[in-house]
Order: sequence, then structure tokens, then C-alpha cells
Amino acid sequence: MGSRQTNAMKVEFEQMAAPWFDGLYASALRLTRNERDAEDLVQDAVMRAYRFFDKFERGTNFRAWLFKILTNTFINKYRRSVKERTLSDPSERDSVNAQFFSQDATDAAQNPEDLLLDRAMSDDVLKAIDGLAIDFRMVLILADLQEFSYKEIADILDVPVGTVMSRLFRGRKALQKALLDRPKGTLEQPISLEEFRARKNLG
Amino acid sequence: MKCHDLDRLLYPYLDGELVAEERVDLEQHFSSCDACAKQVQAERTALAVIRTAANNGSPRAPESLKRNLLAGIHGEQRRLRQARMLRWSAAAASVAICAVAANYQWRSFQRRLFIEDVTARYARQFPLEIQQRSPRELEAWFGGKLKHRVTVPRIMNATAAGARLLNVRENQAAFIRYDTQRPGEVAPRPMGLFVYQAPEDDVGPLKDAEFGSGNGFNVVSWRDGDVVYRLVSDLDESDVRQLLPATGATVVQPASLQR
Repeated sequence: MGSRQTNAMKVEFEQMAAPWFDGLYASALRLTRNERDAEDLVQDAVMRAYRFFDKFERGTNFRAWLFKILTNTFINKYRRSVKERTLSDPSERDSVNAQFFSQDATDAAQNPEDLLLDRAMSDDVLKAIDGLAIDFRMVLILADLQEFSYKEIADILDVPVGTVMSRLFRGRKALQKALLDRPKGTLEQPISLEEFRARKNLG
Repeated sequence: MKCHDLDRLLYPYLDGELVAEERVDLEQHFSSCDACAKQVQAERTALAVIRTAANNGSPRAPESLKRNLLAGIHGEQRRLRQARMLRWSAAAASVAICAVAANYQWRSFQRRLFIEDVTARYARQFPLEIQQRSPRELEAWFGGKLKHRVTVPRIMNATAAGARLLNVRENQAAFIRYDTQRPGEVAPRPMGLFVYQAPEDDVGPLKDAEFGSGNGFNVVSWRDGDVVYRLVSDLDESDVRQLLPATGATVVQPASLQR
């Protein structure tokens, strides 16, 4: 347990961590899928990070270190309560060269350009991310929301780079499929209250 | 590079994770393979759409959360400091407890030495320097002979038989002998009272009079201000207690406190 935090270290930690509060919260929101848990998760993770700040190796990647603590805290605390199923796909345990890019996942989104036509709305994308299995979701959050490199993601999640690649591939394909399959009409603009009343009166 | 390699290389390529040779190899393939080029372009667009949408849709951390985080860090810092201080004070406390214990041991050892000394001197029955006088006369006789004023307590059923000066562990002391005549006994029983100043002899006030024994005698001890009184006799503790009833002060009373 780190306990040698001086006042100078406190100031240093605040300066280093504060720029990432938004990113931590955005990621926590996708992990926990609700605002209250997301705030708790960020609070827990930042406090843990501060407690262990004397263990942080100066000059290494502080942001990746913060996100490693965030994902570990999530895995240890929230995931257990959420009872998310772990990914236990045997293909993932095989080597990178194995056929981990399953054919059905590839088929699922043969026309990714269709997404353009839909002008995928942010809410739909976020909803689709939230629908992914947690292992895919974590990689996707780190890669596409936080734009970490494969190597950084591998370090954060403590998995081989090959696993990061396969999860990212499958996660992105599943995301495309979810977006293409989503019920049409979600893009319809909500009508105004006046318009609604007008219609109701006509009816 | 073959078309079926595209799945494996597509995202690493778009994510900028390929080494230069792999990238060049792949781009050469795109220039000659329309299908792959089309697919990679579609994927690039889809990825951009998804990333943009996800980032645009992600809210910033609420200000209240940011305030709580900074307050939490501040509180944690204070908590850690307090925990450190607590550990320090725990260590200091155990040292203090040892010191208190050692002091207690030392004090009780000192009291023991005084009891041994007064009982040994009482046993030797030194001759009295002045005899058969009233307490007031004895007090007058002691006047000026000692650094402290001597008051001669009036003890129930006892008369002052005489007095002398002697030492108790290097401290000048007044010694007063009493004869106590108890109902039903023919011969009077002697008692000796030592009166001296010794800061290291740590006995309580009369109401907390302390019983002890040494060299075959019982000793009852108390303090009045900085003057210590030790009454030595061969009376049982219960007999002495009769002289000193539970309420204390009325029976054995330093003369100075009597009207």
C-alpha cells in the first residue's frame, strides 16, 4: 500500500490525472452502461491510482496506467456484480494464425459502407457498443474511443497482442452488424409537442 | 499478399499498426485488386463513422464528478497523512506506555525501599531524645530541627510516648513513638511514626492510606502535602484499620489539620 504521498506528489498526480477524467468517464460509461456506476467506477479507479501513485514508474505511459487501473477495478468489482459472461471461445486461445476471424462475423457486415447511408447516429453507435460482450467491448473502447495502440491495449488488459487483434476484429464486425440490423425508424426525428397535439386533435 | 490475407491485415493497416514493408506490400495489392481496395475504403469510412459517432456521443465527465475526484484525492492525502501520524502516535503511545509502566515499577520499588527502611529502623528501637510530652510540646521540640514542619497526629486510644530525630534513606526524619492502649489489653502496644520529606516516596493522601509490611511489621502510610507519614506497628492490618476507619481522616489526623 503506497503511503508516502507528499503534498508535492498530490499536486503532481492531480495535474497528470485531471486531463483524463473525461476519457475515463466516457469509458466507464460504456463499461458499466449507467451513469451512477460509471461515476463510482471512475472515483474508485482514480482513488486507487492515487494510492498506488508511488508505484507508478515515472516516464512510462501514465494514461495507459490509469486505464489499466480503470479496467482492473471494473473487472474486479463491477463485472462480478453485473455477472457478465467471460469470453471463453476456444478459437481465441489458439495462435494468432488460427482461423480466429470467423467467417460468419465477416459475412455479417459485408457492406460496411451502408453505415454511411444511415449516417449512424451517436446514440445508436453507443447503444451498439454497449450491446457487445464485455471482452470485445473493452478492446473496442480502448481502441476506438481512447485510441490506444494494440501494444498499449495488450498491456492494459494483460493479454497478448494477437488476442487484442482478434477481439478488435470480432468486436468491430459485431458492431457493424448490430448497427446494420438495428430497427429502422430510430433515425426519425421526434416531432414537436405542438405538432403532436395538432395530429392528436385531427385524429 | 493474397486477398484472403485482407481480414488479418485490414484493421492493423487502418489502425496504423503494420510495419512499413507490410504496409507497402498491402498497398501494392490494393493497386492491383479492385475488390480489396473497395473493401478497405469501405472499412476505413465505417471505422471513421463509428469513431466519430462514439466520441461525439460520449459525454464529458460531470463537473460534480470532477469536483468529487479532486476532493477525494485531497481527502485521501489527508487520510494517508493521518494514517501515518496514527502509526507514529501508536509507536509513541507504546513508548509512553512502557515509560509509564517503568515509572510505575520504579515508584513501587521506591515505596518498597522506604517501607523496608522504616521497619528496619523501628525494629532497632533507637532511644528517644524526648519523652512523655504532649503532641504540642513535641512539635515545639522539632521546631527548627528539620527542613519541614512536623505536626504530631493525634491517634485515637494512643498517647505520644516520645520522639527523636533519625534518617530514613538519607532523608532527615522525625520519629514519634506512641503507646496505644486498646480496650481489654493490659500492656500498651508501641507504634512508631516516621515523618519526612522525600519526593521519590510516592504515597497517597490520608484518605487513600496505604497498607504494607516489612521486617515483620505492618506499615500504614499517607502524605500530607509534601510530608510523608509512615506508622509502623506490630498491630494487625485489621487493628490498624480500626484506628483508621473507612472514612479515614477523623481518627489519625495531622495536628496541623486539627482545631
